Amino acid sequence: MAESKTTITVSVNGTEHTCQVAPRTLLVDLIRDDLRLTGTHIGCEEGICGACTVTVDGELVKSCLFLAVQADGKDVTTVEGLTPKCGTSRLQESFRGNFALQCGFCTSGMVVAADALLRENPDPSEQEIKEHLVGNLCRCTGYLSIIDAVRAAANQEVTS
Amino acid sequence: MNAHDSHSPADSNTGPEPFVGQSVRRTEDLRLLTGQGMFTDDAVVVDPVYCAILRSPHAHARIVSVDTSRAQAMPEVVLAISGAEAAEHWTQIPAGMDLMDMKLPKVYAIATDKVHYEGEPVAAVVAETRYAAEDALAAIDVEYEPLPAVASVEDALGVHPFDAPDGPWSPKAVLYEEWGHNIQCDWAFEIGDPDAVFASAPHVVSCRPAAHRYSGVPMETRAVVAEYDAGRETLKMRVSTQLPHQSRTLIAQILGLSEPNVQVLADDVGGGFGNKTQVDAEVIPALMAKLSGRAVKWFEPRGDWLSSGPASRDYAHHVEGAFDNDGTLLAIREHLVGDEGCDGATRSAGLGALLVGGTYSAGPYHVRSYKARVQAVVTNKAPYGAYRGYGKETANLAIERLMDTAAAKLGIDPVAIRQHNLVREFPYEMAAGPIIESGSFSQLLDMVTEAMDLPALRLRQEQARAEGRHVGIGVISFLEPSAGSIPMSVFNGYETASVRIMPDGKAMVLSGLQGIGQGVETSLAQITADRLGLHPGDVRIVYGDTKAVPYGLGAYASRGATYGMSAVYEAAGEVRRKLLKAAAGMLEVDPEDLELGRGEVWVAGVPTTRLSVQEVARAVYLSPGPYATLPGEESPTLEANHVWTNPNVSWVPDEHGRVRLYPTHGSGAQGVVVEVDVETGEIQIEKMWIAHDCGKVVNPAIVHGQIIGSTVQGLGGTMFEQLSYDDQGKLLTKTLNDYQLPNIMSVPPIEVLHMETPSPITPLGTKGVGEGGCIGTPAVLLSAVEDALREFGVTVERTPLDPMRVRALVRNAPQTAPVAG
Ligand code: FES
Ligand code: FES
Repeated sequence: MAESKTTITVSVNGTEHTCQVAPRTLLVDLIRDDLRLTGTHIGCEEGICGACTVTVDGELVKSCLFLAVQADGKDVTTVEGLTPKCGTSRLQESFRGNFALQCGFCTSGMVVAADALLRENPDPSEQEIKEHLVGNLCRCTGYLSIIDAVRAAANQEVTS
Repeated sequence: MNAHDSHSPADSNTGPEPFVGQSVRRTEDLRLLTGQGMFTDDAVVVDPVYCAILRSPHAHARIVSVDTSRAQAMPEVVLAISGAEAAEHWTQIPAGMDLMDMKLPKVYAIATDKVHYEGEPVAAVVAETRYAAEDALAAIDVEYEPLPAVASVEDALGVHPFDAPDGPWSPKAVLYEEWGHNIQCDWAFEIGDPDAVFASAPHVVSCRPAAHRYSGVPMETRAVVAEYDAGRETLKMRVSTQLPHQSRTLIAQILGLSEPNVQVLADDVGGGFGNKTQVDAEVIPALMAKLSGRAVKWFEPRGDWLSSGPASRDYAHHVEGAFDNDGTLLAIREHLVGDEGCDGATRSAGLGALLVGGTYSAGPYHVRSYKARVQAVVTNKAPYGAYRGYGKETANLAIERLMDTAAAKLGIDPVAIRQHNLVREFPYEMAAGPIIESGSFSQLLDMVTEAMDLPALRLRQEQARAEGRHVGIGVISFLEPSAGSIPMSVFNGYETASVRIMPDGKAMVLSGLQGIGQGVETSLAQITADRLGLHPGDVRIVYGDTKAVPYGLGAYASRGATYGMSAVYEAAGEVRRKLLKAAAGMLEVDPEDLELGRGEVWVAGVPTTRLSVQEVARAVYLSPGPYATLPGEESPTLEANHVWTNPNVSWVPDEHGRVRLYPTHGSGAQGVVVEVDVETGEIQIEKMWIAHDCGKVVNPAIVHGQIIGSTVQGLGGTMFEQLSYDDQGKLLTKTLNDYQLPNIMSVPPIEVLHMETPSPITPLGTKGVGEGGCIGTPAVLLSAVEDALREFGVTVERTPLDPMRVRALVRNAPQTAPVAG
């Protein structure tokens, strides 16, 4: 039977949306299928890979483990929301300059997670970067370039 | 790593610097970093339904009945179908390869009468939402009659082939009754009378290196978006694949469609690593689209990937080496047995990896007498697929473990015995057949041991030992054959390119390669830019669309730098010739007097006499046109096509039964320092070194990334990742919690040393790159752990190197270590 739906109001990347969702709809499906923000990916639906990482009211969340109804009245930010109108952010540019992505499937989640780290801790040590990104898996890069990219972005942040 | 921005060309008045050789920033990254990539499931289609696949809970069973009626009656279900119903609409899966007398299972993408592994599709559903489709699976009633599960090579044969290579076999059950046994392929060849050499050799050493089951596990699982247009009888499919064209061929064949009516699209692919080189479950959503008349979306849940995706490794060697007193390798006898799961040639392409393993077991070392036997055994597990390394890591584990075993037995330093035997003169025809066209093996080994400062490390190891700590050092060499070309298969040996300069002076390249994260768009643009005097930013690379690109073979076997780049280089060279000819006519000079760069063509020494590439292009195409600008040319526009092949591939077995499947050979050496905690079994990797040579490097930062990435995959496979099954063929590792991929904490410091020995057989001197770290890392880690545990006298020849196994090694050691003083 078709499921009963609930109305929620959620702000995604600064735009308010009123959506009808089934109670079990995952936030990631709302983001990808209903709002068509396909930068957020699904790699496991088990909360392990981090490809679906977004922030909800500034907190990092794995959107495959978060119900859409839980986001009612909250502010969600995805990789699209971290991208300036023109060009790329300093962090994104640093990923590019350090060749910190290959297939790019993990990248949105990585960028969202790294951005949250830099907001909290503008000058993280290598160890802090590792601890912070441990829930984001990348199968391509072997991670070293990602650590370099986050450090380089932090250095610019600090020196500018 | 210094990145060169592709949008700020170097400003200098001297001749333009080539883009080849520079770390040009990747074109791909802008969309991928901003969430604008186009992975298969990102595609928006009108009014889609969602596909879910019901999979067998049994490893081996007969299907008595499948009843989809309850599912079909559910309100949001559009269509539910059993294997028997589907069989009326498609053919069995055609084999991806068929050579060496291999046996081919006759199976459908949805099982009809029997299941051969836990996870095999038995029914499929499409429904209005993904949730509804998954719910409906529970309403499909399947009755099975379980059969004895063949969960190991021993179950499959009744005896291990190392003990009785020719049987007699007494299988617990036979997977495919028509075969009468469980051996998919049994291949043997020999050259140089190895048995006689062994009989008279001063030393014979042997070992049995083996690897467990693991695989590529790309972050994006398999995915399809299929749209069928009944009016036109056309099928448009987005597929997360490494092989768009071969996918089109196979899918058209399975569905009985005319191949020109099928379009396969693959824009961004979220990792491949060999794991996306088959058509298996991908055809299910295509059939559902055809039958339901709706656009169908399917992406594989991670658990389904783990239970049914292509698995790899899971092999054992019995390798013997005959050595002279001075450590000279005289002969090799290699016996390789692989547990393929249910199939390695039809549903998936792993069988070839075992053949490659048997061919390359001499690695980069000189030996003239060689004998190999390869047995590919089927069991009730998921199919055996291609994964980064594809048998080269199998070969490497055999020869490198053999070298360490010989060094210990003969009392020779392990680095010295390798140096003594490395091939030094090129081209070198291996006893097993392949021609290694160039290399600097000995220098690479030197580079690694010097970077490691081996003498200082040995000293530190001594001190650690005195403190009761177990530090181990491993050093190995590796051979990285690239551009695999398997005849009688969809993994053939050619690549296509079509290069055009457009009337606006910008270039478009259609390539048969496929982007899967390896930076194809960037490096092909660098090559084209150099050939056509353009900026890489003015070169558009098109791939992953069978409607646009000439038939090409995609991404596998590190073939891009050999086949794909060479095809583009040659096609672009032909366009260059025509461009210069047209410009020469317009400037009334000889084409030889012209120079080309930065979007312009000018008379050498007369920089004021110049035209832009755009002016020439417009003249050729439109004003005045080809009659005036390229008179007498057979194909008078700025377009050229090229198909690149290579004569170093030979596929008809010679009198010894040998074939040559790889035209180019990268190489390298690796070192590692580990510390083993003998109480906990924990292995701490202190540092890794890798010296690498893939010939001419087009984009150093991309190559660097490939080496680090492959090394970390090799490390993950050797230490953490396991597809493990119980003795009933049930998968125990069904989530990424159980199948542990390396995370950011797992990675030690890795020092990469580069060297370039150009290949004489490719126009740019390039060789393939991307698999090296997967090839050498298992062997170097085993070597180092054995070295760390030397005082216990243990042999470390099997992966995984997980704490449990390490503790068991120590517990069962022939010697107990002296207590630290
Ligand atoms: S998809 Fe959410 S963590 Fe993997
Ligand atoms: S770039 Fe491919 S998974 Fe991270």
